[in-house]
Amino acid sequence: MTLVLQAVVNGLEMGLVYALVAVGLAIIWGLMEMINFAHGELLMLGMFGAWWLSTTLHLDPLLAIPPVALVMFGVGRLIYTLLMRRVQRGETFAQIFATIGLFFFLQNSAVAAFTSDYRFVQGGLLSRLSGVNLHLAGLSVGLPLLLAGALALVLFLALYLLVERTEFGLALQATSEDREAAMLVGIRPQRMFAVAWGLGAALVAVAGAILANFFAAYPQVGFPFTVLAYAIVALGGFGSILGTLLAALLVGVVQSVTVVYLPPAFKDAFVFASYILIGLLRPQGLFGKF
Amino acid sequence: MRKLRVTPAAVLLLLLAAIGFSPSAPAAVQEILVGELLPLTGNFASLGQQYLWAGQTAEDIVNNDYPGLQVPLGPGKGFPSLGGAALKLVVRDDQSRGDLARTLAEQLITVNKVVWLNGDGTSGNTSLLQPVVEGFGIPLSCHPCASPTLTDKGFKWFWRTGPNDRTMVASVFSFLKEWPDHGGPRDLKTIALFSCDNLFCQDNHKIATELATRDGYQIVASLTTKTGATTLASEVQRLQAANPDILFLVQYPPETTVFQADAKRAGWTPKVIATSNGAYYDQTWLVAQKATNGAAGWIGSDTTAIDLASQKTAWKQVNEIYKKYSHGQDMGELAMREITGLLWMADVINRAKSVDPAALARAAEETNMSPEQMIIDYKGVKFDKNHQNELATGVVTQVGWDDQKHTIWPWDLAKKAGYTMLHPNPSWAERDAKPKPR
Repeated sequence: MTLVLQAVVNGLEMGLVYALVAVGLAIIWGLMEMINFAHGELLMLGMFGAWWLSTTLHLDPLLAIPPVALVMFGVGRLIYTLLMRRVQRGETFAQIFATIGLFFFLQNSAVAAFTSDYRFVQGGLLSRLSGVNLHLAGLSVGLPLLLAGALALVLFLALYLLVERTEFGLALQATSEDREAAMLVGIRPQRMFAVAWGLGAALVAVAGAILANFFAAYPQVGFPFTVLAYAIVALGGFGSILGTLLAALLVGVVQSVTVVYLPPAFKDAFVFASYILIGLLRPQGLFGKF
Repeated sequence: MRKLRVTPAAVLLLLLAAIGFSPSAPAAVQEILVGELLPLTGNFASLGQQYLWAGQTAEDIVNNDYPGLQVPLGPGKGFPSLGGAALKLVVRDDQSRGDLARTLAEQLITVNKVVWLNGDGTSGNTSLLQPVVEGFGIPLSCHPCASPTLTDKGFKWFWRTGPNDRTMVASVFSFLKEWPDHGGPRDLKTIALFSCDNLFCQDNHKIATELATRDGYQIVASLTTKTGATTLASEVQRLQAANPDILFLVQYPPETTVFQADAKRAGWTPKVIATSNGAYYDQTWLVAQKATNGAAGWIGSDTTAIDLASQKTAWKQVNEIYKKYSHGQDMGELAMREITGLLWMADVINRAKSVDPAALARAAEETNMSPEQMIIDYKGVKFDKNHQNELATGVVTQVGWDDQKHTIWPWDLAKKAGYTMLHPNPSWAERDAKPKPR
């Protein structure tokens, strides 16, 4: 029993990290309904940003979050302005191919700039706490992941309030639901899309800066996270920030508990089986609005 | 006076003779094209980049004059028996994807007209190339590929100078078996096997299972995980619960770093971590461990006693050439295997005096290379009927606190290396407390 409970705790901790990775996609894909297969590459850029700042300026990756987020907000806006605004007018396939192209461009640029070496962040607060655990009722909770998870929850709360309780958030939702109607009330859709892309890129880059404390940064690091992020956003329901969070926790727990009983090869199979099951019962996802 | 009659045919014959053209003789070759199919992006990119640097090093050695360098085609420029023709590697990136590797192999053979294909550096993808190359009938080699099945299938056109996993994993188990008689622990009774899921991983897993059973270890856990894992926390939990004395781990570098992070989080270190191939052979992974002391105490098979081999003049010379391409990174064991294999290939082409596939195959089969010509510790290069180098050997090394590999088996080489082993495997707290090597 302890083994299962420990697996649940591990899964919840990892789920919070997944939530942070997926939330940027929840904005771009879930809310604004634009496809981005280069999501993991933006995560990778965030990781390299944190690593670079920690190596050159000896900045703790947690302190690197604001500059990384700011730069990546600009990168996200730029991607929309230079690429996605144009392909947005066409078929959905155009978005798929454009972002797959972006995926290769960003990944291969990172190979050219940094080589495929593995880069580790040294000396950061979370790295220093690595191996420190809290013990509660016979269960062990890793402190660094717990702190990262807490940070993820704060970001989620801020994002939830931004999207659900501010005029800006309502404008984003209005643009997503009916672009023409939004224009009639003075909302500029292009601006909203650009900000959504900026926000999505900044959020996933923040996830990258936090993940740099736990994972090696290398050009190919993003892809496995992209796959999970898509499953999480669809599972949580399009347009639902809260749904994304709960779906990420569910994915983390399913992955973790599956391995306790079954061969690890089934780990992701059960994640996607859950997605199919929920898709059959609730096609709009757990908390989807449409 | 008799009038000289000159026919047009005679004029043509005279002209051809004057420019030295003979219709039956091949035109002088300027470049020998070799296809180099590598995973430069995608999951195995860190391996691919080392193979690329190794390829560039071999090309440099063949095409430039290194008078004192005692490796095949070191002294002199180009292939002497082919009029000094240069070696040209036609490099293609297969993105670590087997399907793309197959397509690119066909392109390299039919469009680029390469005379030899080298790649892709991973056993799984190379196994997909083998049927393609058999169909076209040109030589294919993959020297760092270690899956025994690649040669066990008996393909006519496939060659491997490096050892296979049967040799490598057996080295580790021979060491573990003999260790107690050389001052090692006598309390290592249980073992857990933890590997990735592709061809090379499964071969390692299977061989390790056979050897562990043969040597009387109790297998307390046997887990396989797929590549591209974002977390291995539950796998670590299961391994920790099984509490093995020895963990036999075969994972690629990304999964190994995830494993290390999760094992550290769980505060778990078995008494012995033994490995073969995968991350342990990847110099990029090894260099990255300096930041965390993460590899200190790990035991693994190697093809060469790198601490001893690196004292050799030829090794140092080749390493200097390698560093021109590797951004200053030293040659690791994988690069040494690849360079050795490519220089063997160059020697075969030179001995064949032709790029005709049959002549190349004949020259390859006739190979009998001595260890003095190599930067690696093989006992030579000589092929068995399946084109596996039967003189390729394995040693066992351990990573020390200096993040360098030290030879610990066979015992005669271990004695020469004079290294004192770390045992038991250091805890995470010890790794954190120790100064990190520069």
